[in-house]
Amino acid sequence: MLEIKDLYAEVDGKPILKGLNMTVNPGEIHAIMGPNGSGKSTLSNVLAGRPGYEVTSGSVIYQGKDLLELEPEERAGEGIFLAFQYPVEIPGVSNMAMLKAAVNSIRKYRDEKEMPVGEFLKTIKEKAAFVEMDPEFLKRSVNDGFSGGEKKRNEILQMSMLQPTLALLDETDSGLDIDALKVVSKGVNALRSPDRSMVLITHYQRLLDYIVPDFVHVLSNGQIVKTGDKDLALKLEAEGYAWVDELESQAKEQGAA
Amino acid sequence: MTAAFKQTMTNALLLPQEANITLPGAGQAWLDKLRSTAAEQFIKSGLPTVRDEEWRYTDIRKLKRQQFSVQFNSPDVRAALNDLIDYDVTRIVLVNGLFSPTNSTDKVPAGVSIQSLAITLADDSLQGLLGSTLPSDRHAFIDLNTAYCFDGVVIKIADKAVLEKPIEIVHVTTGADNATVSHARNLIVAGKLSEAHIIERSISVGADNAYLNNTVTEVIAHDGAKLEHYKVQDDAEHAFHIGGVFINQSRDTSVINHNIAIGGSLVRNDIYSNLLGTGSHGGMNGLVLGKDSQHVHNHTEVAHRVPHCTSDEFYKTVLDDKSRAIFRGRIIVAQDAQQTDAEQRNDNLLLSSDAEADSKPQLEIYADDVICSHGATIGQLDPKSLFYFQSRGIKKEDARRLLTFAFVNEVVDRISFEPLRDELTQRFLGELLPDSIQEVFA
Repeated sequence: MLEIKDLYAEVDGKPILKGLNMTVNPGEIHAIMGPNGSGKSTLSNVLAGRPGYEVTSGSVIYQGKDLLELEPEERAGEGIFLAFQYPVEIPGVSNMAMLKAAVNSIRKYRDEKEMPVGEFLKTIKEKAAFVEMDPEFLKRSVNDGFSGGEKKRNEILQMSMLQPTLALLDETDSGLDIDALKVVSKGVNALRSPDRSMVLITHYQRLLDYIVPDFVHVLSNGQIVKTGDKDLALKLEAEGYAWVDELESQAKEQGAA
Repeated sequence: MTAAFKQTMTNALLLPQEANITLPGAGQAWLDKLRSTAAEQFIKSGLPTVRDEEWRYTDIRKLKRQQFSVQFNSPDVRAALNDLIDYDVTRIVLVNGLFSPTNSTDKVPAGVSIQSLAITLADDSLQGLLGSTLPSDRHAFIDLNTAYCFDGVVIKIADKAVLEKPIEIVHVTTGADNATVSHARNLIVAGKLSEAHIIERSISVGADNAYLNNTVTEVIAHDGAKLEHYKVQDDAEHAFHIGGVFINQSRDTSVINHNIAIGGSLVRNDIYSNLLGTGSHGGMNGLVLGKDSQHVHNHTEVAHRVPHCTSDEFYKTVLDDKSRAIFRGRIIVAQDAQQTDAEQRNDNLLLSSDAEADSKPQLEIYADDVICSHGATIGQLDPKSLFYFQSRGIKKEDARRLLTFAFVNEVVDRISFEPLRDELTQRFLGELLPDSIQEVFA
């Protein structure tokens, strides 16, 4: 589904990703962990096409297409969804209106008919209830005045409306209390399916108690330095990121050898 | 007036005497004095130039080049009006500045009197009211309007009257063979504890030539009155619009002025809110939508003269093409006006690199126990918001339009009279959003 090969990317001329390799197959959940500044958020932003994140070399093939050639909205049309670490507040556009525009824009991209209004309303109400969001929030401006937890819940609501093929969750757990974390995880787990893949970017292992990944990658200094199963996350939690430095130097030695 | 005066004014605008117009109510000492004082002041100050600080960014030479004359016909425009608006209001129509009974409603609700200014001026009932709200730093066009005091509408709302239907004053300019000017003068007096919505619109019907709409509306709110005053300026694209709204508020009143500037090529609005009684609230809500080479100058002042008043000013501007907007927002807090809470915001969105916005907040605070905040921004659409929408599958161009609409909608949302709010929302949707996105908001 997603194949990242030797990816180098920079922000403001500063190299962040330095030869990242990763393969995600349909139905898999990958967790990417790593210390601050290792390039976790850069990876998700590069995949979603955020301006200012410049790929200098390498390739990203998504479902047989060169992802890096596509505009952000085309990537969404192709089924990629980024749950933002810091969802943007947009006064003046209601949540409902944005989602309706989003759902129908994506359908249009896929040459599908618009979602009938009745179906849209029914679906959005169901999804809102599932992420335990007060329906009043649908009428409110996008994220405007929402608490941190409400914003994250709103990201999950959007994700469940758009039904992506590849979901990128950028530190969706940050700033959540345990109840909000459970709700968010419930939303994510409900979307697990054999043809949908997810990449969870997280600083803490805690999220992975609720969303159990198939693979855990450790990202350090712009490269994946170790890959394992969910137990790797536990080891990381127990031993801290200092351990990663060792991994990184090992990786370097291997590279040199 | 002298021939010399005529020359210096380059015939751009003539006083009534010059234009050989006999004014209603002439011969009453109080009114003659009001008019002649204004005429003298007009001559003394002369038409503004860019050398005047308050007109530095607004060059009216384009206006001065025109040969305006006053138009004294008021044709039947009902068909055009019916096309425009379809909600239930008590409608008063001024055609070319003249009160038009033919076009206006004859059903005046209980608790309100509506009359033409010309008729009202036959006696001294407006003595002490007319001109009472005008500021001392007014510009020459306002004096010209007072000097004319020809016609317009006088609305008096009885004490405790709560009007269900808004009163709508429609200023219509019709076609003429040459450039025309009108000096409509309105007076709104809201009795104690009365409540009303008043809409003022300006439109044109077949006015292909340039015209100048030089209107002044005075608003006097007595104790406890609540008013929402909407000014929807929708003049022809080649029109000049110079408008004044001067509001005096007594104790425990709330008057909110909504100033929506859409049409016109050169527009200047002076909106003054005088908080003269404690416990009052003055609101100013403004929107400018500029395109082509439109020039819109909003000159506002909120004066806290007494303690315990609040004010909230919220002006937004969207400028495309080569349009230009100027916002001057003065807040005065007098020495005695303790416990004042005044807020001002002016946000400008530039959609084109040739557009220009100037924002000039002026705070003059002489009291020490006040909360006063102000902020002004001039910028482009937020790239973070654009990317957020794009990442949800919305095309960049659609996202731009959607965000522009959202920016505008924040002002429209403050309009409490729902049919007007809906009308403007639909209109801006149509102008700003592609069809594919429009129905999202339906």
